[in-house]
Amino acid sequence: MSYMPGVCTFCGTGCGHYLKVDGTSVQGVFPSRVHPVSKGRLCVRGWNIHELLGTQERIIKPYIKDSGQANYQDAIARLVSALSSYKPEEIAFYASPRSSNEDNFALMKLARLVFKTNNISLQAESGHRNSLDVLYNGTGFAGMLGSLEDIRKAEVLIVAGMDITTQNPIIGSELHYAARSGSLLITIDSRMTKIAKLSKKFINIKPGTMRIVFDAIAHYIDKQQWSDTKSAHYEEYKKYLATVPFDSIEKETGVLPAEIAFVAERLVKAKSAAVFFTSGISGLSYDTVASIYNLFALAGKIGKEGCGVNPIAGINNLQGSFDMGCAPDLLTGFQSINDATAKKNFEKKWGQELPQFKGKTVEQLLADSSSPLKALVIVDHDDGIVKYADRLKALPFVAYIGAFTNKVADFAHVVLPITTYIETDGTFTNAERRVQLSVQKCDNAFDVLPMWKLCDTIAQAAGKPFNYQSASEVMDEIASLTPSYEGISYKLLSKKHGVQWPCTKKNHDGTKYCVPEKVSFVLPQKPYAAVQATQEYPYLLMLGKAQHYWHQNNIMHKTFIPLREYNATLLLYPDGYVALASEDAKKIGVRDRWPVKVVAEKASMKAMVMISDDVAPGTAYVPYFIREGIASFLLAYSDIVSQGEEATIPVRIEKV
Amino acid sequence: MYLMKKNDVKKIAKALEEKYTLYGPYVDEAFGQCFFDKVTADNVDLNASIPTNPPKHVVFPHLETIMQYKYDKTTKKADIAMVFDDTPKALFGLRSCDLTGLQCIDRFFLGQEFVDEVYRHHRSRMFIVANTCVVPFKQCFCVCTDSGPAAQEGYDLNLTNLGDSYLLEVGSEKGKAFIESFGFAKATEEHLKQKQKLVEKSITMFEDIATESKAWVSRVMNRVTTGFIKEEVWEYIGNQCIECGACSYVCPSCTCFNINDANTIAGNTERVRTWDSCSYEGYSRMAGGHNPRKPIEDRRNKRFFCKLSYSQSKKYLRPGCVGCGRCAWVCPGDIGLPNVVTYIRREIHE
Repeated sequence: MSYMPGVCTFCGTGCGHYLKVDGTSVQGVFPSRVHPVSKGRLCVRGWNIHELLGTQERIIKPYIKDSGQANYQDAIARLVSALSSYKPEEIAFYASPRSSNEDNFALMKLARLVFKTNNISLQAESGHRNSLDVLYNGTGFAGMLGSLEDIRKAEVLIVAGMDITTQNPIIGSELHYAARSGSLLITIDSRMTKIAKLSKKFINIKPGTMRIVFDAIAHYIDKQQWSDTKSAHYEEYKKYLATVPFDSIEKETGVLPAEIAFVAERLVKAKSAAVFFTSGISGLSYDTVASIYNLFALAGKIGKEGCGVNPIAGINNLQGSFDMGCAPDLLTGFQSINDATAKKNFEKKWGQELPQFKGKTVEQLLADSSSPLKALVIVDHDDGIVKYADRLKALPFVAYIGAFTNKVADFAHVVLPITTYIETDGTFTNAERRVQLSVQKCDNAFDVLPMWKLCDTIAQAAGKPFNYQSASEVMDEIASLTPSYEGISYKLLSKKHGVQWPCTKKNHDGTKYCVPEKVSFVLPQKPYAAVQATQEYPYLLMLGKAQHYWHQNNIMHKTFIPLREYNATLLLYPDGYVALASEDAKKIGVRDRWPVKVVAEKASMKAMVMISDDVAPGTAYVPYFIREGIASFLLAYSDIVSQGEEATIPVRIEKV
Repeated sequence: MYLMKKNDVKKIAKALEEKYTLYGPYVDEAFGQCFFDKVTADNVDLNASIPTNPPKHVVFPHLETIMQYKYDKTTKKADIAMVFDDTPKALFGLRSCDLTGLQCIDRFFLGQEFVDEVYRHHRSRMFIVANTCVVPFKQCFCVCTDSGPAAQEGYDLNLTNLGDSYLLEVGSEKGKAFIESFGFAKATEEHLKQKQKLVEKSITMFEDIATESKAWVSRVMNRVTTGFIKEEVWEYIGNQCIECGACSYVCPSCTCFNINDANTIAGNTERVRTWDSCSYEGYSRMAGGHNPRKPIEDRRNKRFFCKLSYSQSKKYLRPGCVGCGRCAWVCPGDIGLPNVVTYIRREIHE
C-alpha cells in the first residue's frame, strides 16, 4: 500500500492526488477521485509531480560562501551574526508562495519577532494583492468570494482575460464541464485562448481595455435600471459609471454595444453567476479588479450560492502566504499591522512589541538603488529576481533557503537546505480559501530540516526560541492569532479534503461562499489608461504565460516530461516567439519561425514569428519568458509589466 | 476446476505471498479510493470496486531506472549496468479488462522483433489470479471490446464469486501445480453453468450505451479505419483536449514511454524510463523540428487511431481499447474514449 493521499502543490487549484511512495523516493502519482475540486483529474504538471519530487537537483548540505560545505550550526551562526549586525530597516525576507502556511508563518515570526523587521514580502506580490485589497475593501473578505466546488451551480460563468486551461487547467476543465451541462460560459479576452474556444460566447477586446468593458456592462445595467442594489457608495459609483465612454465603446475596446447588452442582460437575469480572473505574477490592476467586482455587486451576484468574484492564484499557496502575513503591512488573516487589537494579541502571545516602522516589499527595496537594503533572506524562489542580479551581487549579505538547486543560490553567502513538502507536515490554502493538510509521506534522505523547524533553530540561535515540536503546533499558534483560521487544527483537517476559511470554533465546516455583512462598491483610483497603437508602433503587444513556460521554469527544468514539452517549443523558437495573426505576418512579409525584431519606444528584442490566428490582427503576443533578450526588453518596461495581464506595449515588428 | 469456500480466498493469497510479491486491489483507508498495488493477504479486497489505477505500473512503472553508469576519470573506464527487477510477482484479483490490457502490453514489449528485456524481467515469474466481474461498474463497456466481464485466457487461476462459494478455474500448468496441494473440492459442469448464468446476468447490468448494441465500438473501428471521419469531428474533439496525458497514463494498454538520463547526487548517471503520452506536442516532434502531428486535433486522433483502427488490431489481435472506462474518469476535457465513440457514431447517424 504505497499510494498516499496528498495535495498537488503546483498551482492554486489545490488538486487532490495520491503519491506512490517507496522508502524515501516518490515513484508515481495518481489523481484522487473523491477530491471535491479535482474529482479525479490532474494536468500535465500534476501528472508528473513525482519527477520533480524525485529530482537529484537538491540542496543537501548547508553552505557558507567563504568556507564551502558546512553544518547547520555554523551556517545558522553565520546567518544570525550577519543579520544581527544590521538595522531592521536594512534586512528583508523574501518569502515563497510555494511554502506551506506553517513555514511562512514561522518565517514571518522570524522576521518580525527575532530580526524586528517589517520588510517581508512575496514574489507575485502585486497581482494577488490587488485582488485581495479590492475584495477586502468591498466585502471584508480577503479571498475568493465563491467556491471552485460550486462552479457547476453557476448559470453564468465569465472568464476575464485568463488563459485558464493553461494556468489552472483543472479549473478550466470544471468550467468546461459546467458549460457542457448548460451554464453560459463567456470569455472576455484579447486572445482566442482554449477556454475562449470552449465558451458559448467569446468577446474579443482590444488589449488593455478589460476595465472599460466591465464598466460598460455595469453602465448598461445601471442605465436600464435593472439593479436594486443597496450596497454602500452607490451614488459615487453611479457618478463614476457616467464617465464610461459608452458611446464610443466599439472604437475604444473593439466590442459591439450589442455584446455589452447581451452580457449585461444574461448576468442580471441569471440566478447565479461567477467570474474568474488571473491573480498572481500576471494579475490585474486594482482598478480593473474593482470594475469586475463592482459589476457583480451591482448585478447582485455576491454572497449567494453559485456566485463569486474569483481571483485565481497561479501558485499553490499564494493565498495562504498572504493569510500568513508575508507582507510589510499585514499580520495573519489580512489583519493590518496597525490594527490595535491584532497587534496586542500578537504582542501578548509573542511577549514582545512588534516592529513599528513602515516596511517595504523586497521588489521595492531591490528596484530602488537608494534603499537601505543590506541583507536579504530568500526562500525557495523562482528565478524572477535574477533581473536584479547586479543589486543582489552588491548586497553585503544574502541567504538562500531552499529544497532544490536554484540560480539565486549563487548569490548567497549562506545556503540552508530544507525538506520538500512531502518530507514534513504542512497546510496549503488554495485559491478558494481551502486549507488542506499534506501529511509527511517519507523521510528525507539527506538529514535536512523542514523550514518551520529551521526557522525555530535560527530563532533559538538568536536567543528567542519558538519551541515548536511539530508543524501541528505551528498551526495551533496560527489559529490562536488569526480569526479566519480560528477553528483549524490538524485534528480537524486529517482525513478531510480541507476546510475553506473563515473557519471558526463555532463553524468547523468552514465557509463555502462568503456572505458579507455589508457590500460596498470599490471606487477606482486612477483614470482609464488604455494604450493605443500608433502609426509608428502599430501592434499592441500582450504578455502572457504559456503552459510549459510556467513562471520562470525553475521548477519545470527539474522534470522530464514537462521539460521535454518546454523544449519542444523552445527548439522550434530558440529565441522565444512572438505570435502574430496570419494576415499581419503576410503584411510584414514573414513566415512561421522567421526571425523578427520587435521594436518598442524604449527597447527592442529579437524573436521568431509564430503564426497563430488565436491572436487578433493588430495585436501580438509574447509568452512570459526566460530568454535574456526578452528579459531585458521587459526590464525596460518593468512599470508596464507590473500591470500583469493587462500589460500592453505598442510595438513595430521588423523583418530581419 | 475447483469449488472453494469464501474464506479459502485468503488461503490462496497467503500461499502466494510466501513465494511472490503480492499485488492486488485494496481500498485506501482515508478516502475509500481503490488501488491495485502491493498488498498483503490481510488487506487484499476482492470485493473492492475496479481499481482506479490499472495494474500496468507493476510491469511498466510510471518512472523506472533501467540502466546505471559511472565513469571513472582516473581509469577512464565506464561501468554500465542494466537494472532489472526479477522479483516474482503475483497479480491477485485482476479484472478481465486489466488482464486483457496486460496482454496488449505483452504484445508490444515482447511480441515484436525487439524484445524489451526490462519488461521481460518484470513479466517473467508472474502468477496471475483473475476475478470475474459478476457486477459491472458504471463506466464499464468491456462487452463491446471483447475483454470481459470474464477472462477467457492469460490467467493461471480464475475466480468467480458464485454467491456462497468461489468457482476456481485453472488456466495453466503453473496454476494447476499451485492449486493441487490445497485439496479443494472439484467443481462440476453445474457450477460452470452457474458461472455462465452470472456472466450473462452481469452483461445485462451494463449501462445501456454498452448493451443496446455490442457493435457500439466495432462500428466506429470500421469508420476510423476507412478514414471517413470529417475533420470537424476531430477538431471538435481536439479543441476539448488540455494535453494532460491522463488518458494514456490510466490506459491499461497504452505503452508509450520516454527515456532520460539524469545525474545522481552519488555521482552516477541513471537512465530512466517514464510514461509518455501521444497527446503531448513534444512526443511526436522529430529532430530538426518537424512535427507530423503538431495541431492538437492530430494528436488526439492519433490516440483514437491507435485504439480503434484495424491496423492496430492486426498487430495486437484485438482493439487497443479494453473497455475499462478509466479515461472517461480522468479526462479534463470530457473526451474519454466512450464520448469519442459517441461523437463519431453521431456523425455516422447524421
